[in-house]
Amino acid sequence: MQARMYSFKRYRKFILPLIILLAVTEGAAIICGATFGKLFEGLYRGIAFFGNMYPPDWSAFSEMLEPALQSIVIAFLGTVFGALMSIVFALLAASNLSHPWVRAITRFLIGLERSIPEIVILILLVAAFGLGAMPGVVALSLGCIGMLGKLLADIIEEIDPLMIESIESVGGNKLQVIVFGVLPQIIPNIISYTLFRFEINIRLSVLLGAVGAGGVGYELDYSFGMLQYHRAFTAMIIIIAMVFATEQLSYYLRKKLKMEGALK
Amino acid sequence: MLEVKNLTKTLPNGRRLLDGISFKVKKGEFVGILGSSGAGKTLTLRCLNGLLKPDSGSVIIRDEHDRPLDICKINKRELRRVRQKIGVIFQGYHLVKRLSALENVMIGKLGQINTFRSLFYGFTDTEAEQALKALDKVKMSELAGSMTGNLSGGEMQRVAIARAIFQSPTLLLADEPISNLDPSNAKTIMKMIKPLSEHMPVIGVFHQPEMTAKYCSRVIAIKEGKIIYDGDPKLSNKRLEEIYGEELELIEQQEHLLAAIAK
Repeated sequence: MQARMYSFKRYRKFILPLIILLAVTEGAAIICGATFGKLFEGLYRGIAFFGNMYPPDWSAFSEMLEPALQSIVIAFLGTVFGALMSIVFALLAASNLSHPWVRAITRFLIGLERSIPEIVILILLVAAFGLGAMPGVVALSLGCIGMLGKLLADIIEEIDPLMIESIESVGGNKLQVIVFGVLPQIIPNIISYTLFRFEINIRLSVLLGAVGAGGVGYELDYSFGMLQYHRAFTAMIIIIAMVFATEQLSYYLRKKLKMEGALK
Repeated sequence: MLEVKNLTKTLPNGRRLLDGISFKVKKGEFVGILGSSGAGKTLTLRCLNGLLKPDSGSVIIRDEHDRPLDICKINKRELRRVRQKIGVIFQGYHLVKRLSALENVMIGKLGQINTFRSLFYGFTDTEAEQALKALDKVKMSELAGSMTGNLSGGEMQRVAIARAIFQSPTLLLADEPISNLDPSNAKTIMKMIKPLSEHMPVIGVFHQPEMTAKYCSRVIAIKEGKIIYDGDPKLSNKRLEEIYGEELELIEQQEHLLAAIAK
């Protein structure tokens, strides 16, 4: 007997979840006052606004290069310091290297960091350090720990225990186990994840710039605030080019990276 | 000189893994430990260099001043010192895959050199030369610079032997050094391990009675955590059946295979 392809029975189990999803969506839309009418209205206004911004103010281009560079430097420094701190955190958070208590505390700190958005860290840091690049770098460094620390710790835990035992069994101490048994195995992963984090940090550094870390994000925010829309458009073009270029560079470098024999 | 006395190890559920293992090994001996899977061979070996603490019993080894030391009772610091003089060859894949073969050989001396120096891979020229010589002994000097992960199973095991030679231990332990290898590679490895027993006791865990019969000077058979045979490596068929139960047929097949290769 041939099974009926479009029998109602086959789709029965999808009906209830679908109704719940639609109901929740509708409820959420009512709460925040979103309607399709408003969506199209807003889109129309947005496009009209975009027309006002055109053409970009190219005279501002040269003076924005320095803030753009500043944004890149903030992201770069944040990533470098962040990655270094993450390695330390990851080593402490790996079950095969550290004491269960140390691991539990470090894992908790990493999770805690991951649950705090970078922008909240930055606002707290601006209160401490004042406006400028410094709080941006620190915020991005701390922001790395939540992600890189966890990813690297998980990678370290996957290392073959025999490899660690074989170094311990010639009389090597913990530091030697890390330097000879652990780091060589995870260096490709460190580089790959760090490059990926650099992409994220470039985008974040623009965002943080608008909140007070300086750089090209600040230029964008400032131009909008002063109603200089043509100037803001230039900043947008620079930001998009910057993000696109770093993503391509990072993608290229990660592809070039040799993962031979490394944990993937 | 190594003396093992009355090792026992019991699981929390009451299952006895090791049940009074005792033996003595002298310089010049190449001891093969046989037994079916789960009999306690590897556990015994792991007790010998302190990777596993037995519930009771002792493993007595002489240190450089010829004082007896019980590996089961010393602290971590002393254990590290004792381990400098115990070479190990594990069942393949214990080398660091993303370091070169030469660097893996160098790891053999990690316990003996200054920690700070070792952290920067600061090996001296003499050490490098000795490591190369060790690699040359196992005919691997040409591949010294290649990444260990790219080597074949037999080549990796030869690097492991070079590591043990470079370490210049007073006792060598080998945990199933040939189980991942094809018969001809296994023979090569056995031929390389055997001469080492002239300078130090060598204790290995094996799954191949035909190999231990050929290369070892003594065989210890373990069954259910107890030593059931200790003596001449050439075992009778009846003895093999005692050790392995019904696995005998498989072993005969392997012997045929080896004979075919030898021709």
